[in-house]
Amino acid sequence: MSAIVLENISKFFGAAAAVDNVNLQVETGEFVTLLGPSGCGKTTTLRMVAGLEQNSTGRISIGGEVVSDAAQGFFIPPERRHLGMVFQSYAIWPHMTVFDNVAYPLRIRRKSAQEIKERVATALKLVEMERFADRPAPALSGGQQQRVAIARALVFEPRVLLLDEPLSNLDARLRTQTGDEFRQLQKRLGITSLYVTHDQGEAMALSDRVVVMSMGKILQVGAPEDIYQRPHSRDVAAFFGSPNFIEAEVKACRSDTGGTFVLELDGGWKGPCHSSHEIKPGNKAAVMVRPENMRLVSGGQGPSATGMAWKGIVKESIYRGAHRSVMLDTPAGNLNIDLTALENPAVGANVDVFAAENSAWAVPV
Amino acid sequence: MTDNTAGAMTRNQPIAMPAPLQSLAQRLFSGRNVLVVSLVAILSFLAVYPLAMLLYGSLHSTPPGMAGEFNLNGYKSILNWSNTLVLLNTVAISLGKTIPSLTLAVLLAWIIARTDTPWRDKLEVLITLPFFIPPILTAMAWGMLGNPQVGLLNQVWKWATGATVSPINVYSYGGIIWHMMQYSTPFLFLFIVDIFRAMDPALEESSRMCGASRWRTFRLITLMLMLPALTNSFILSLIRGIESFESPLFFGTPAKIEVITTEIYNSINHRATPDYQYATALSFAIMVMMFLLVIWQWWLLKGRTFTTVTGKGYAPNIMKLGRWKWVTFSFCILFFVITVVLPVGQLLIGSFFKFFGFYSYDMLTTEHYVAVFNNAEVWRAIGNTMLLGLLGATAVMILGSIVAYVSVRTKWRGRRLIDGLAWLPWMMPGMVLGIGFLWAFAMLPGPIPIYGTIWALMLAYIALGTPISVRVMNSAYAQLSYDLEECSRVHGATFMQTMWRILIALAWPSFAVGWVLAFFGIMRELSASILLYSVGSEVLSVVLLRLWANGLAEQVSVIGLMMMLLVILFRWVQLKLIKSRISTL
Repeated sequence: MSAIVLENISKFFGAAAAVDNVNLQVETGEFVTLLGPSGCGKTTTLRMVAGLEQNSTGRISIGGEVVSDAAQGFFIPPERRHLGMVFQSYAIWPHMTVFDNVAYPLRIRRKSAQEIKERVATALKLVEMERFADRPAPALSGGQQQRVAIARALVFEPRVLLLDEPLSNLDARLRTQTGDEFRQLQKRLGITSLYVTHDQGEAMALSDRVVVMSMGKILQVGAPEDIYQRPHSRDVAAFFGSPNFIEAEVKACRSDTGGTFVLELDGGWKGPCHSSHEIKPGNKAAVMVRPENMRLVSGGQGPSATGMAWKGIVKESIYRGAHRSVMLDTPAGNLNIDLTALENPAVGANVDVFAAENSAWAVPV
Repeated sequence: MTDNTAGAMTRNQPIAMPAPLQSLAQRLFSGRNVLVVSLVAILSFLAVYPLAMLLYGSLHSTPPGMAGEFNLNGYKSILNWSNTLVLLNTVAISLGKTIPSLTLAVLLAWIIARTDTPWRDKLEVLITLPFFIPPILTAMAWGMLGNPQVGLLNQVWKWATGATVSPINVYSYGGIIWHMMQYSTPFLFLFIVDIFRAMDPALEESSRMCGASRWRTFRLITLMLMLPALTNSFILSLIRGIESFESPLFFGTPAKIEVITTEIYNSINHRATPDYQYATALSFAIMVMMFLLVIWQWWLLKGRTFTTVTGKGYAPNIMKLGRWKWVTFSFCILFFVITVVLPVGQLLIGSFFKFFGFYSYDMLTTEHYVAVFNNAEVWRAIGNTMLLGLLGATAVMILGSIVAYVSVRTKWRGRRLIDGLAWLPWMMPGMVLGIGFLWAFAMLPGPIPIYGTIWALMLAYIALGTPISVRVMNSAYAQLSYDLEECSRVHGATFMQTMWRILIALAWPSFAVGWVLAFFGIMRELSASILLYSVGSEVLSVVLLRLWANGLAEQVSVIGLMMMLLVILFRWVQLKLIKSRISTL
């Protein structure tokens, strides 16, 4: 049974569609991330699941139970959906202590004082905030507030946990650490989580599946590796990092295992390349190669049979500490390549560049 | 915890059946409509109805409640040379007090917010105190201090210099402006000091880094950033000056200097037969003038943003003044002495001498205290004022809280109308609203006996206080992010539970601060009260004015001192609240 099912969900603000016919299923225990640039409708989607916005069309079910059905005019208000939520601003109530904040959902549900005490203690322990129970909420740092917000969202054992950019107000180092800790906690508790972010790295590191959204529509749903390495479209590919796109003509196309296709391409070089689309011979395709998957080969060594190679001149070289970014001028256009930090080709040098077959992926132009 | 989670998955009950929920939603929806409609009705009764009656009355030949005919005689009679002079007087006096007040307020605000003057936090409390003193008290006190014959200041001057001519006469243009400045300066200061504080210091620092001197930075950056706010304050103060009643009544009328408010008042109270049509037409004309001023204000502020200024709480740049800090300190103290110590001291002295102006040892007496405490009318007025203050302030704040919530926190249809209606009394001077209500009560159908009762005053006070209470609650809600409410809803609280546990719990200090403001407003109100009171429903300010008119300045001093005690007590409570609020939020 799916924990969350969205069927044909749309949300109109006036005539504009903020969310446009979205379909999605989130399985029990799964961690799914809605990813996209600001204004893509990801937060609106999350808020419709929460019940903070009413969907204009479609049906939302949580735990097999319909919570909103626009066609029937049926809508369960947020407080009766039994969901936990972490807000971007954390929404820690400033007039309460940490304990009171976390106890709030339990008090609303009229639990006994004893039960509240135990469950708040357990929840605070989960996020390692048990020492701060008596602190007034405004006396917490951002990272601590974030932990309290998570404890509060978990304390009443909700059916689903919703998170709206919960890490975006933390500094970079804390963000990674908190994200990793949260993912461990989520796996341990097995709680279904729907997470909204615009940070690609966060989405990759945390999710079982990533939902890439743009202009209110879902572009692609898949595991992080799929989304990153095997995008369905140029838009999805371009959303992660700054990949190279090399235009080529399709010479042949055949089915491969797993519903993908293998294309024979000609773009000044010849080679096979995989794609999720069937592209008829004679059409153009864009080959995506990520900078970190390209490497320089020294002049004498020819490239191996399965892969692509170009000759080029080094135009720019930027040292970034962890790696070095190099821009090459090649017959296929400018190519960006990430080298190891130790390599240092001179600007103006002639080089051979090589990309293995399995690192390239073709998308329709 | 893992066990618990697994348990939660099975323990979940189906949350609700669709059918009852739908009817619940319908009930809520209609409940919302009922609320919106009743808000519109209440606010219309408080603002639109008296305004409409003002127009009606200005075209009606007889006083409220009598049969008559419709004509334009009212408007014809106000168009004459002496009224032009009255209008010029009004504007000139208001301008004359606004410009020095604003300058002084900027200077004081700068001293308090941006210099290392010692004990700035305490000075701030002292500087703002005059704003909370009812103007009628200081007017009476200055009437005694600056009286050309027996005024204390003149006596001291003559004694010290041996001169025979009194240098000070408060019954003059200068006297009116002097008195107005005493409460408009702290009023403007309250606005401006927060702007000085909220300014991002980086904006000024970058100007310094670009090579601008401190003074140049102040002129080119600081003042320019504050310009929209200063313009706003200027017009606000100008409007308040035109609406002002106490200062021209006390210092203008004896010197035959009339302004619009006193002209309206005199045409009803000091003529053989009150000329209601004339007064109403004049009131309507002043309303139109206010309206034009407000439009001018909007037009001036159009497109200007305050975003650079109203940011988060920054630590503002503090200027080290060195030895000059004692000069600024003394300046602030001087302001406090002139605006508070002198008048209150005069009341204190006046209350213990047999006749004010004759200050010798054998004139000392407590007979005025005895007289006041034995005066049943005074006690009745105190009772009325307290009742009106407590109930009125509570009603104003409840209404303001609901209106502010609907207009800023919801997307309900009709919220803009509600906001606009609540704001409307803002540009009505108390005098004008009083006349509007006179007509409004007289025109009420059937036996609704509001006129002549204490409830007539109550309604006028609620109308006058609502714009301020809405404003206070607006800013209180604006500080609370929507997340705080939504988070509560998602975690299981209903709308009402969220209101109670989150919104009210967080906003109540603002509510209390606004309540004290509203209470002060009611206690000091004179211009509407003087038109709407009748025997049995007198309030303190009206009784004070009557005693003063009867020459009982000494008894006035006694009552004034009692009111001062109340002002200080409430202001102290208010400051406590603000402080505790700032330390927890």
